[in-house]
Amino acid sequence: MSPRKLSILLLLLLIGCGGPQHGGPVTVTLPTSMLGAEAVVLRQQLARFMAEHPGIRVVQRETPDAADQKHQLYVQWLNAGASEPDILQLDVIWTAEFAAAGWILPLDRFRPDTAAFFPTTIAANRWRDTLFAIPWFVDVGMLYWRTDLAPAAPTSFVELARDAIAARRRHGLRYGLVWQGARYEGLVTTFLEYLGGFGGRILDRGRVVVNSPEGLKALMEMRKQIYEEGVVPTSALTWHEEECRFAFQNGEAAFMRNWPYAYGLMQDRASSKVAGKFAVAPMPASPEGTRTAALGGSQLAINRNTAHPDAAWAVVDYLTQPAQMLERARVVGQFPPRATLYDDPKLAAVLPIPPAEARLVIEHAVPRPVTPVYTQLSEILQIYLHRALTGQSPPAAALAAAQVEMQRLLNSVGLGTGDAVAGR
Amino acid sequence: MEKEEARLAWALVLPAVGAILLVALFPLVWTAWESVHLHNLQMPWLGRPFVGLANYIEALRDPRFWGALGHTAFFAVTSVGLELVLGLWLALAMNRAFRGRGLVRAAILIPWAIPTVVSALLWRFLFEGQSGVVNAVLVRLGVLREPLVWFIEANTAWVPVILSDVWKTTPFVALLLLAGLQNIDASLYEAARIDGASAWRQFRFVTLPLLKPAILVALIFRTLDAFRVFDLIYALTGGGPGSSTEPIALYTFNALLQNLRFGYGSALSVIVFGITFGLALVYIKLIGAELTGARR
Repeated sequence: MSPRKLSILLLLLLIGCGGPQHGGPVTVTLPTSMLGAEAVVLRQQLARFMAEHPGIRVVQRETPDAADQKHQLYVQWLNAGASEPDILQLDVIWTAEFAAAGWILPLDRFRPDTAAFFPTTIAANRWRDTLFAIPWFVDVGMLYWRTDLAPAAPTSFVELARDAIAARRRHGLRYGLVWQGARYEGLVTTFLEYLGGFGGRILDRGRVVVNSPEGLKALMEMRKQIYEEGVVPTSALTWHEEECRFAFQNGEAAFMRNWPYAYGLMQDRASSKVAGKFAVAPMPASPEGTRTAALGGSQLAINRNTAHPDAAWAVVDYLTQPAQMLERARVVGQFPPRATLYDDPKLAAVLPIPPAEARLVIEHAVPRPVTPVYTQLSEILQIYLHRALTGQSPPAAALAAAQVEMQRLLNSVGLGTGDAVAGR
Repeated sequence: MEKEEARLAWALVLPAVGAILLVALFPLVWTAWESVHLHNLQMPWLGRPFVGLANYIEALRDPRFWGALGHTAFFAVTSVGLELVLGLWLALAMNRAFRGRGLVRAAILIPWAIPTVVSALLWRFLFEGQSGVVNAVLVRLGVLREPLVWFIEANTAWVPVILSDVWKTTPFVALLLLAGLQNIDASLYEAARIDGASAWRQFRFVTLPLLKPAILVALIFRTLDAFRVFDLIYALTGGGPGSSTEPIALYTFNALLQNLRFGYGSALSVIVFGITFGLALVYIKLIGAELTGARR
């Protein structure tokens, strides 16, 4: 430990010891968005918490909503060894990064009831077999399908193409399937679902394995849907979540790949032409793979330099209790990561989606590679996937190049165990 | 006595020199210092070791870096070239006496006054989707047989990028050139007319040579600006499709602020600085020669 870190630690210890003895409550800070219904619920929950725990005061600190900006801000704070904010709200792809950097506290010592959560949501928050964050709400990529156009959701890519083509022909729909194909994180989540559908993976511990027969089939399937079957429009290669939602809610698309947030919005009859006429299912798969949903969502973690780890844990524990999750489900429609809640009739009463449908998708959820350099790996993959999908490069060459570059990155930071050479 | 005056002079410029050192030189030296270290905020366990020129070597070996440099040069040459031609044409038009000239001169500045991000989004909106305005117009005119998805092909994605930059900055170039035009003595044209010079010859042998300094100034401003292009492309294409419209500034931004690779990003920044500094030197030499040449 460097003298600077030691002195910071000592200082924190002093503050930590000094605080409560002066009689006042300890203060923990929590960076949050201050916008919309979500902020209102959180404020109410924190007020209830403070009423029940007079010894702890929770102060909210406003942070940007955009994930990139939030990430940048967190990294700056934590790099400087700041003791505040005490609690951090992490995107699921940041947990490994923050854990490996030593910025957040291992949580096992607080004995969280992890058995009540979906195993995938817990696995995504482990780094080197240690739990570093508690899932707060789950996001999953889902296939939205029109109940008025087909009797059931397609379970294979063949069925999907058949239904999409039929819907376009019979009902004059403009698009078959719409998904997020712009060059950004959303493209990787879409690809991950096709990849899982063919039984492939991006990363196997320290080895990049995306350049596999399965990976190639997944990418070829996406291209086939665009250029051969006309199921996916070429303009989807510039689309993010909202463009897809607009197309689907205007009744222009038979299928859409999107996150749960769209469900509640599209049930609004004033703005949506498909209210009451759609349902969700896991994305389809080929016979050799499994139906896959990319896992997203938000987690709560504790700053390693916090002066009040126990108070911070009390807040995290409170916010992730069933009652609070049910309330969030009611107000903002977010899926609780606690599997046990899905048998609770209370959830059925508040969630816009039938819990059984939601549960089915969550059970197919797969985390994106759990690695500290995920954001950089993803950036490389985004570029090569987009090149392959826009026809700038053949799929096999794109995957091979992506694999070499990703492996080189992993190796350069001491996390790789594979060779950064082309070929399978 | 002289010594005292010199001392006073130094004391008087000291605050200014201090400010320059603080805001210009210090960040530059700091960036150069960062650029010879491995410094990755996301990976504190790697420490911050001195790595010599490793970051520069990585950049020079990275095809994405060369691609970004090529895109930047392409963007600079194309957009500045078009802006110069159009700007000159506009300046010549505005230099004539006509009714409402003041109004036209003010109105022409409107695109220049719009924030870049706003104009980028505006152009994105015009070109976006299969039912966008541009597609609708081109299909109706019969130029396109069916709507084009402009942003998924490298060649077509450049069209809105270049158009939006030309639309926005031509007025600036035009005003600079207009100022130059107004400095030209009207008697020269009179003499040329008496000698029977055609309009084209007047332009070629009177206007252009005397306008050269103004053209050079416009070129300097615009090339250096174009070389650092960021916000326009960030908002318009995000560097896509793939990375085929990614300029060097966007690549640097990604390395520095998205991936938080301070060492590598600083090396990229130093390279960009070197290039723009080199360009500026060349231009200053040209202008200097031009100005002294004109005086002789």
